[in-house]
Amino acid sequence: MAELSPCTDMAPVDDILGTYPREEASLIQVLQDVQRVYNYLPCEALTRVSEVLGVPLAKVFSVSTFYKAFSIEPQGRVTVKVCMGTACHIRGAPQLVDELTRTLGIAPGETSEDLEFTLKTVNCVGACAMAPVMIVGDAYHGNAMPAKVSSYLGKKGVTDEN
Amino acid sequence: MPRLTIDGKVVDVREGAYVLEAARKAGVEIPALCNHEALEPWGGCRLCMVDVTFEHWDGWYKAVAACLYPVAEGLIVETRTERVTNARKVVLDLLLARCPDTPLIQRLAEEHGITQTSFARNPEQTDCILCGLCTRVCDHLGISAISMVDRGIGREVAPPFKEPPPDCIGCLACAEICPTDHIDYTSTHSRREIWGKSFEMLRCKTCGKAHITVAQADFFADRNGVPRSYFETCDDCKRKAHADIFERLGTGP
Ligand code: SF4
Ligand code: FES
Ligand code: FES
Repeated sequence: MAELSPCTDMAPVDDILGTYPREEASLIQVLQDVQRVYNYLPCEALTRVSEVLGVPLAKVFSVSTFYKAFSIEPQGRVTVKVCMGTACHIRGAPQLVDELTRTLGIAPGETSEDLEFTLKTVNCVGACAMAPVMIVGDAYHGNAMPAKVSSYLGKKGVTDEN
Repeated sequence: MPRLTIDGKVVDVREGAYVLEAARKAGVEIPALCNHEALEPWGGCRLCMVDVTFEHWDGWYKAVAACLYPVAEGLIVETRTERVTNARKVVLDLLLARCPDTPLIQRLAEEHGITQTSFARNPEQTDCILCGLCTRVCDHLGISAISMVDRGIGREVAPPFKEPPPDCIGCLACAEICPTDHIDYTSTHSRREIWGKSFEMLRCKTCGKAHITVAQADFFADRNGVPRSYFETCDDCKRKAHADIFERLGTGP
């Protein structure tokens, strides 16, 4: 959906707003839907949400920056997550991050200029037995190896190097 | 009127009050940073921790935030137990790590025997203790121009998008309520600047004092249906005018 030109096309926001009651209680659901469509929360969208739901813009911004599920910066088409939980950490997650940073030219929390990848670190994804784990989009890669990082970036499905 | 005991002192306090208010009435001092009598209690700073118990709790105590704990008949409050002091010390130790150069925090910490934080000093200088008084007073006035932004160590008070806040009317309520004077502003006869926004001042028709911003007058005239002319003179001059009338009435025929 990154092809949308978010700063001009607000029609999806109005569609989303049309499906919820115009009240403060709808805020999080509306923001979740907006995040899903644009892959981030464009500032124009937040202003529109504030006006239509009658919630002060400062409140909307506060909520938008509080939850990790929301982002106010454009996100890459694919999110790459490296687990930094205890098990993954001791089994080499930092090396995975280093390799990804080298390959993609971005640090954790950043998005590549072509808006293709966003790199994130997360804490324990519940697959410690296959530590270290990295996730590209929806694809989980267990026992991940720094040398294979480039190949994971293009892969779908689940892989386990063991 | 519930009757409670605070550090051995018996006090009657109004129904619906919280322990902090009762303690003040009893003359017992409890440090509190995020509380203000004009605002709903929030329980954010945790400095006001006290121990509470009842006769029938058989010696059990519960640690609660005094600003948020409702009074009740027979409640027994202890504000100086070792547990309470330790809880406060932890809060102050953490606050001192966050705001090592903030006089208010230095003073409170020192009063509790802490001259240096046992945690790592915050490398980013700030006086903001995140007490939320500024954002809550802004909400309370029905303006909500600023809010808490981000979470964790990145949390801060800021306007939306960290840009000059569209809803701000330059009332200075946030800067005035801030216990650490963290919020910068300048105010002269002609202009006031706060949160990166610049306001034109309204000067009193009688004495010439720049008493409020034009935006404030517009906001309150519009919202409260007060005629705009009400704001043309400042509160001092209005009071004086009333006093003159009373004086004339008093010395009249
Ligand atoms: S700016 Fe002042 S009032 Fe606002 S949260 Fe920080 S310390 Fe509290
Ligand atoms: S620590 Fe990585 S999956 Fe648990
Ligand atoms: S004054 Fe009670 S928690 Fe801050």
